[in-house]
Amino acid sequence: MKKYIIFSLLSFFMTVSYAQIDRSTQPKAGPAPEINLKEPARFELNNGLKVMVVENHKLPRVSIQLTIDNPPILQGDKAGVSDLTSSLLGKGSKSIQKDDFYEEVDFLGASINISDQSAFASCLSKYFPRILELMTDAALNPNFTQEEFDKEKDKIITGIKSEEKDVSAIATRVQLALAYGKNHPYGEITSEETVNNVTLMDVEQYYRSYFVPANAYLVVIGDVDFENVKELVTTYFTPWSKAVPPSFSYTKPKDAQYTQINFVDVPNSVQSEVVVQNITELKMKDEDYLDALLANRVLGGGSQARLNMNLREDKGYTYGSYSGIRDNKYSPMRFNAYAQVRNTVTDSSVVQILSEIDRIIKEPVTEEELTNAKAKYAGSFVMALEKPETIANYALNIETEDLSKDFYKTYLERIDAVTIADVQKAAQKYFSSSNARIVVTGKGSEVLENLEKVTFNDKTIPVLFYDKHASKTEKPDYDSAIPEGITVEAILEKYIEVIGGREKLEGVESYAMLAEAEMQGMKLELEMKKTTRNQFMQDVKVMGNSMQKQVLDGDKGYMVSQGQRKDLSPEEVERVKEESAAFPELNYLTAGNITLEGIESIGDKKAYKLKITDKKSSFYDVETGLKLQETSVEEVQDQQMTNTLGFHDYQEISGIKFPFKLTQVMGPQNFEFVVKEIKVNEGVTASDFE
Amino acid sequence: MKRHLLSALFVLSAGNFLAAQEVAFEEYDLDNGLHVILHQDNTAPVVTTAVMYHVGSKDEDPSKTGFAHFFEHLLFEGTKNIERGEWDKIVSSNGGSGNANTFLDRTYYYETFPSNSLETGLWLESERLMHPIIGQVGVDTQKEVVQEERRLRVDNSPYGAFFDELLKNLYTKHPYRWGVIGSLDHLASATLDDFKNFNKTYYVPNNAVLVIAGDFDTEKTKKMVSDYFGPIPRGAEIKRNIVVEDPITTTIKANYHDPNIQIPAILLAYRTPGQAERDAYVINMISTYLSDGESSKLYKKLVDEKKIALQIFSVPIDAEDYSSYIVGGLPVGENSIQDIKNEIDAEIVKVQSELISEKDYQKLQNKFENNFVNANSSIAGIANSLAENYMLRDNTNLINTEIDIYRSITREEIMEVAKKYLNVNQRVELEYLPEQKEAN
Repeated sequence: MKKYIIFSLLSFFMTVSYAQIDRSTQPKAGPAPEINLKEPARFELNNGLKVMVVENHKLPRVSIQLTIDNPPILQGDKAGVSDLTSSLLGKGSKSIQKDDFYEEVDFLGASINISDQSAFASCLSKYFPRILELMTDAALNPNFTQEEFDKEKDKIITGIKSEEKDVSAIATRVQLALAYGKNHPYGEITSEETVNNVTLMDVEQYYRSYFVPANAYLVVIGDVDFENVKELVTTYFTPWSKAVPPSFSYTKPKDAQYTQINFVDVPNSVQSEVVVQNITELKMKDEDYLDALLANRVLGGGSQARLNMNLREDKGYTYGSYSGIRDNKYSPMRFNAYAQVRNTVTDSSVVQILSEIDRIIKEPVTEEELTNAKAKYAGSFVMALEKPETIANYALNIETEDLSKDFYKTYLERIDAVTIADVQKAAQKYFSSSNARIVVTGKGSEVLENLEKVTFNDKTIPVLFYDKHASKTEKPDYDSAIPEGITVEAILEKYIEVIGGREKLEGVESYAMLAEAEMQGMKLELEMKKTTRNQFMQDVKVMGNSMQKQVLDGDKGYMVSQGQRKDLSPEEVERVKEESAAFPELNYLTAGNITLEGIESIGDKKAYKLKITDKKSSFYDVETGLKLQETSVEEVQDQQMTNTLGFHDYQEISGIKFPFKLTQVMGPQNFEFVVKEIKVNEGVTASDFE
Repeated sequence: MKRHLLSALFVLSAGNFLAAQEVAFEEYDLDNGLHVILHQDNTAPVVTTAVMYHVGSKDEDPSKTGFAHFFEHLLFEGTKNIERGEWDKIVSSNGGSGNANTFLDRTYYYETFPSNSLETGLWLESERLMHPIIGQVGVDTQKEVVQEERRLRVDNSPYGAFFDELLKNLYTKHPYRWGVIGSLDHLASATLDDFKNFNKTYYVPNNAVLVIAGDFDTEKTKKMVSDYFGPIPRGAEIKRNIVVEDPITTTIKANYHDPNIQIPAILLAYRTPGQAERDAYVINMISTYLSDGESSKLYKKLVDEKKIALQIFSVPIDAEDYSSYIVGGLPVGENSIQDIKNEIDAEIVKVQSELISEKDYQKLQNKFENNFVNANSSIAGIANSLAENYMLRDNTNLINTEIDIYRSITREEIMEVAKKYLNVNQRVELEYLPEQKEAN
């Protein structure tokens, strides 16, 4: 009996032992985990190549990464030679033709990429020996041919040309050139001219000078055996001749003497690119490296950071505003805070970004901000560790950045130890509101007036002007006065006259157009039909399949987008009706509420700008009277986007001039439609609008 | 016999080139029947806690469908110690992320954290199993959410109904015949007691596997597992009826009109063996051969060369009792779904009548191996594979050995299996059509 009691008591205690834990509240997180990073095994070849091997047999795969840690290279009047060298590498070798090389890599399910200062390959471990051999062969015995060189040079020049009017490309180029100087490797500008200076011999020369083992590291990670890697790497890489790359000296980049706006006028710009930048000298091995990263995180290192919360969430100026801090052991680098904003808020955005930089310098961040910044940093750091390339990069950084061995092992602890005061000190050291260079790239005629009035800390910020290649220039002149006697009516009448005259236009009852464009190698077809009876049909086809179709017949209509059909709302019907007029200018004349806004440059032509509605403007050539462009503002997911439609190459059909080339720019998209056929008063039937 | 010998030889020779994948794990049962799998990998301070319950839509009462999926929603509504709305906040403030999903045979819940929050993961999952709140508020809220989900994924989504339509035709007796989301009417009319009964039957430790994968200390973790999950009482044994379908011997023709589409599709579906069977692996290989990637047979022929199809696809849908193999396409321009069907059939007949080329076979092997290897490259992915291999294939170690099965499949076997299962009279032909317009 007694025994039983003991027994049940025991079992009672046993069950109690489960209940020791307190389930009512969330368990406390343990101390920041120590990073259990693999130590790579190492060896070095006589030619200077340092090799690190991280054995990881969990998965039967391998990655191979060759990094050449050369100082930055100044290309001078042959800027573009490094890009050309990169595009010519990885296309077979002296002993394997390009096609055979590609096919073999595909068959093995592997990938190989080589550029002017690196090489990368990944594969299943059983194909490691062959892939290493192929990669090494392609990297060390490249087959530079005139044919491939010409092809790649054409591609690069086409790329440069296509960026001529690209606001982002212009902005980035000028920002870098102004921050570092045009004679610094990070500031120099690659142009059509410099690329044309490059010859096949220059590529060979460049490759020979810089693709050398002195500063080279090879990292092999995955399911490999160290001894085996050593043997293979020694075999394949020993022929790589020992050499040291040439070195350069260049002026050290410096901050602006006082805070200033550097303005670049890009008349076709529909948004302004605003960046506030200064020069920092930050190396990974600096004591306050993590402090600086955290300061940047609070300021603009994510969607929850101050810049984005202010400019996007609070004010709605932009889709996103962020900041970036960079470290480099060779050169001072650029810190920047930036946003792409609507033209009308360009000046306000400059003030807001500058104020946020000023605030983080002058006031301590809050406890909560710092905790969140740390949590995010720690989280990303931890998650990134799962990827093998992260481990490789860490091993490499310790080596190349001269870091302490436990740099990454103690990373989380050190993040955790950063204080509010540390963050402020870093902000003071690395960000500047008093020697900042504010580069604004945008449409001067719309933004400059207010930009010149920007004051900060009670002082007006001076505006200096630069051209698209970062050279100093004069302030652009926008005061093309409107000649006496020019009215809205006169402009519209002239347009109607030059394209065929009122009588001809009024005789048009229907109109059908077929146009084509190219999009990423695919054929895009645009079919449009209109009548004077509020009928409209527009069908966009990709490779013969209807992607988007809009139909209006009187007061009803529908839209089919990627297979989904939707009836148009009354508002949409009204909008499409406006579009459906074959020659809307005939209606504009009687509309009465259209205003003449001024003269603007469209490409190399001057045009009168008429404001049709709050959301739509049309531009008519001052000389010829032809319509050059239409812009309309559309809401896409809460963002305002400007849709610019250009009209070129007018040709006569049935006595009326129609544009035969249409260009459309909307957000990042850029289309050029070439008209294949236009029919007037034929080719349209009632069934087109069903 | 000879075949076995051959495949053994094959494995041996392959072994010379390749070390086997080594995902080390340990597994055991708690007294209450909870199966525990630990995969320790301290290379990254990341840990996934996951629980898979052996309950899916096939376990539902035919008059109460949609319950399994509904529970996946309901069990985020809070527990005795976790208030409504707190679940996601707890996960994210610990730097983690998580989610859940339901399929024909199982329901899966998981979170991934930095490893110092392992205990929080265990607390969350044990709370979910031990005492979830199944109350009117949560039930009413989730009924709304599930209705929206059905609208989003099925009713309002182009081609969204294809799987439900195929299941309905492929199975006449087996509970795979209704889809995972189930009937909104059944859910609407279900009572709180119905839900409580479902929970009591299936959400018990003896019907679940807990997987902890990543960076942890084994002894401490085992102790925590027993502390958090040990006190949960074992449930009654679950009775499962194995329903056997009669083989399909004449082509089942079906059609469906989807108001969300403009381009018709043809879907050919075959009933194939359950996912643990060797033949199911062979079907997977055939599927990859036919349609995976731009160099696959169907893609190259129908999309690239003949330009008959806008899109071509073939998907093996793995499940415990039977799998379903679906192949189909969307015609381009004037071409008809019949044209696509003819071309697919011609290609399948080829697989049935001649061996695939040595080179294609090797490329297939490489491709397969690559996919397999990369599928297990994250801790979260490994946790899922371990749970599924244990629960649905009855062999946790498949995570390391599954590739051997693929390697041992021969060209001859591919031909045999295609002949055995992929015949015209064994399939459902679903014409998936745009809704007809009124003639005017």
